[in-house]
Amino acid sequence: MSKKIVLSLVILTLLVIPAAAPAAFPEKEVQIIVPYAAGGATDLIFRALAESTSRYLGKAVVIVNRPGGGGTVGFTEGAQAKPDGYTLTAVITPVTILPHQVKTAFTYKSFAPIINVVDDPSMFLVKADSPWKTTKEFVDYARKNPGMITVGNSGAGGGVHLVALAFEKAVGARFNHIPFAGGGPSVTALMGGHINAVSVSPPEGIAQVKAGKLRIIALFADERFELFPNVPTVKEQGIPFSMGMWRGLAAPKGTPADVVKTLHDAFRKGMEDPAFKKNAHDMSVKLFYLGPQAFEKRMAEDDQYFAKLVAEMRK
Amino acid sequence: MLESLQHLFAGFGVATTTVNLTYCLIGAIVGTLVGVLPGLGPIAGIALLIPATFGLSPTTALIMLAGIYYGAMYGGSTTSILLNVPGETASVITCIDGYRMAQKGRAGAALAICAIGSFIAGTLAIFGMVFLAPPLAEAALAFGPAEYFSLMVCGFVVLSNVTGGSIVKSLMMAVVGLIIGTVGLDPVTGDARFTFGTTYLLGGIEFVAVAIGLFGIGEILSNVGKPQAALDQSVTVPRLKELYPSLQDLKQSIGAILRGAGIGFGVGLVPGPAPVIATYASYMVEKKTSRHPETFGHGAVEGVAGPEAANNAACQSAFIPLFVLGIPFAPPTAILLGALLIHGVVPGPMMISEHPEVFWGVIASMYIGNFILLLLNLPFVPLFANILRIPKRVLLPLVMVFCITGMYTVNNSIPDIWVMLLFGVIGYTMRIGGFEGAPLLLALVLGPKLEVAFRQALMISHGDFGVFLSRPISAFFLAATFLFLCVPLVRAAARRWQARANPA
Amino acid sequence: MNPQGREAIGGIILFLFGGATLALSLGMPIGNFRAAGTGLFPMILGILLMTLSGLFLAGLVAAKRKSPSAPPAVPAEPPFGRQWAMFMGATVLAVALFGTLGFPLTVFLLMALLLRSLGMRKWGGVALLSLATALSAYVLFVKILKIPLPAGLPGL
Repeated sequence: MSKKIVLSLVILTLLVIPAAAPAAFPEKEVQIIVPYAAGGATDLIFRALAESTSRYLGKAVVIVNRPGGGGTVGFTEGAQAKPDGYTLTAVITPVTILPHQVKTAFTYKSFAPIINVVDDPSMFLVKADSPWKTTKEFVDYARKNPGMITVGNSGAGGGVHLVALAFEKAVGARFNHIPFAGGGPSVTALMGGHINAVSVSPPEGIAQVKAGKLRIIALFADERFELFPNVPTVKEQGIPFSMGMWRGLAAPKGTPADVVKTLHDAFRKGMEDPAFKKNAHDMSVKLFYLGPQAFEKRMAEDDQYFAKLVAEMRK
Repeated sequence: MLESLQHLFAGFGVATTTVNLTYCLIGAIVGTLVGVLPGLGPIAGIALLIPATFGLSPTTALIMLAGIYYGAMYGGSTTSILLNVPGETASVITCIDGYRMAQKGRAGAALAICAIGSFIAGTLAIFGMVFLAPPLAEAALAFGPAEYFSLMVCGFVVLSNVTGGSIVKSLMMAVVGLIIGTVGLDPVTGDARFTFGTTYLLGGIEFVAVAIGLFGIGEILSNVGKPQAALDQSVTVPRLKELYPSLQDLKQSIGAILRGAGIGFGVGLVPGPAPVIATYASYMVEKKTSRHPETFGHGAVEGVAGPEAANNAACQSAFIPLFVLGIPFAPPTAILLGALLIHGVVPGPMMISEHPEVFWGVIASMYIGNFILLLLNLPFVPLFANILRIPKRVLLPLVMVFCITGMYTVNNSIPDIWVMLLFGVIGYTMRIGGFEGAPLLLALVLGPKLEVAFRQALMISHGDFGVFLSRPISAFFLAATFLFLCVPLVRAAARRWQARANPA
Repeated sequence: MNPQGREAIGGIILFLFGGATLALSLGMPIGNFRAAGTGLFPMILGILLMTLSGLFLAGLVAAKRKSPSAPPAVPAEPPFGRQWAMFMGATVLAVALFGTLGFPLTVFLLMALLLRSLGMRKWGGVALLSLATALSAYVLFVKILKIPLPAGLPGL
């Protein structure tokens, strides 16, 4: 009997020893929490990035989906994770918007930014046979018929919903916002003619626009979208409005600076990897690198902007 | 049509290259493994292997990932039959009659019928895909919020009492399922409901936790208190001649399989958790059309063959909206969409013309994949059936370990395991009181979607309830529901009237 | 306890559950049908459940009056007791330690405890089976399928 106890103890000790020896970061795989459903825009780009970065980091980079609440569930979990660099969060624009709309357990300050990866324009799509041919026609109709145009989005309080809300404020119109459970269902509803327009961010809806079934009726960006160079931005048409969606990576606040640097360098190399660049291009996603300081500045700016915007919309 | 056949032959050329065949096989094996292990589902399996496909051509990548998807459907029924643990969310119904068959020593027959039925249904569904894909996809688009609502109400009412017994008890269980489904974030306004301040509940209650808990853990717990003598025994010792289905079984099942394939194919086109709904619908149909409905719930082979066939057919037809419209209707196809995008293939209306080798290659490989799975699964039937020889004393702990492990793999979340255990205890107490778990699960799946569709429809129509009746498809389903509820009442009333008119 | 008694208790529990749902949902914005509030749907469900369980209980009472010794429609009472409690206790313990111990060790511990609680006598057999299960689970899940599982303190 005692022999068995000794044997078990020996085995246990042997198992524990490897952990006791100090090692460099990263010792094991790194997890990225994606606060959106698998197969969505954010999920895809980070899966591709995770794959290419694994090679440069030396350890596997794994994606964990935590969808819900326009990102609330995932952001909350990511902000509360241990700041040891093994649990990162994919942060996108809504992280600076959500805290102003609902009481959240996080703000952008709960995170230590590592790197920004993507900056995509947002847009409204309509069916190819829709009566509105230009942004102007669409906006004029909306102004004359408040609450009549149904605009779908990928979830209440989500990024594209807010874009739609901000846009209607900017042009003095009122839409009828219909939430769906994700970008896929909202685009489907448009294709079936159940709603008039849909608010999306690439790659949602891109395939259908390429195929000619849907049209971009309003493009919210500072520059034209390289994939569709004939579509003017709303800025060009006299509406001073532009709202893109950035997507980057962050660690919980308090993660040691050298860990952040190691992660940043690895992900930067992953971003520059030719295979990843090709993936991004195929997905019609615009890569836009920002380092930790620049990314933090961007988040702070957006946070202030949205604080004002949400307060105004509440009036 | 001739052109499609030509393309199909070309597709077979693509699908039968050594590389593609190998990856098809790998996908099928991984899929079966993933399906057999409780909790781990095709979503996790596909997502985990996407990185492994980065160096491959898009066709090969998709062949392997698709193989995982329908492979998981084949494997999911294995634990349902052997252990009453749903290996897949869609295998819940298979537990009902499949497990009873296993307890009677007919596990082998059940497993084999599943494999055969899945093969036939899968093959038929692929034919359907090839020739009917584009018009069907367009038809699926006609479903908007109002139509969904009516469809789901119809499904809900019709399928709630799928296991028979008291209608009131089933409805109560269904309402409990609906209530559980409201926990989490309100999909329309984004406010938290019933979360009691925890972040875990923000994501709602995980369906898989409830399914494995109610069925699997519940079954374990009801065996755990038994005296030592009972624990020495195994669930059953399969007899050699019962390891494979008899001719009688096959004859009885073929009708169920064909009907199941048709039902699954149709239901798979509708967005949402189509395979689950398809299995419930098939079970219901089989029960109603059977000549001896009282055997259902006690090991009727049609109750296993039909739902499994429907399950597989629904999986195959789920590819139609993905390929033709470029829109995924369920989480597994959403991930496949992602995988395609990463490889530079944009599914959608352009896919067939721009990348015909991908489309037809994948379809051809589906035939091959289904065949491979049949060959894989049949010889393993005796092996799996012999798992039941393990004495309960050892088997029960093993099953518990696998349930816990499998549960964790779904969301990497330990709270999920607690929920599973909680529902295990709840399932156990439900059995004591004689309440069924199947209606609860169906309601949990349909509930949130029902609510969302209802509110969406009303938002679009500006509060006008008439929208549900003015749109033809929606009106059709509501009328069907109404008839379903009224016909038995009318008949009962007519009988009483007749009895009063001619007192015997 | 006889089957009808158990059913009745079930009905009462459900009634209370419906009531609790209703009470909680009233604390949330209800809105109207045009712009449904968060609490509207749960409120309807709570009322529905209370109604159904009320009807159910009424039906039980009516049936009892008609034929006091009706055949039970529910299965016989499954086992309970000390063994059951040990099994559940062991499971709860193992899950609680899952994060700290890590996957392979938890599997080992769980198997060992469960086998013992079900009455397996020989320590050697218990240890062997638990070790075998833990090892094969480790190889299958961590090595072959590469699924992220907690590594715990030992870092496996």
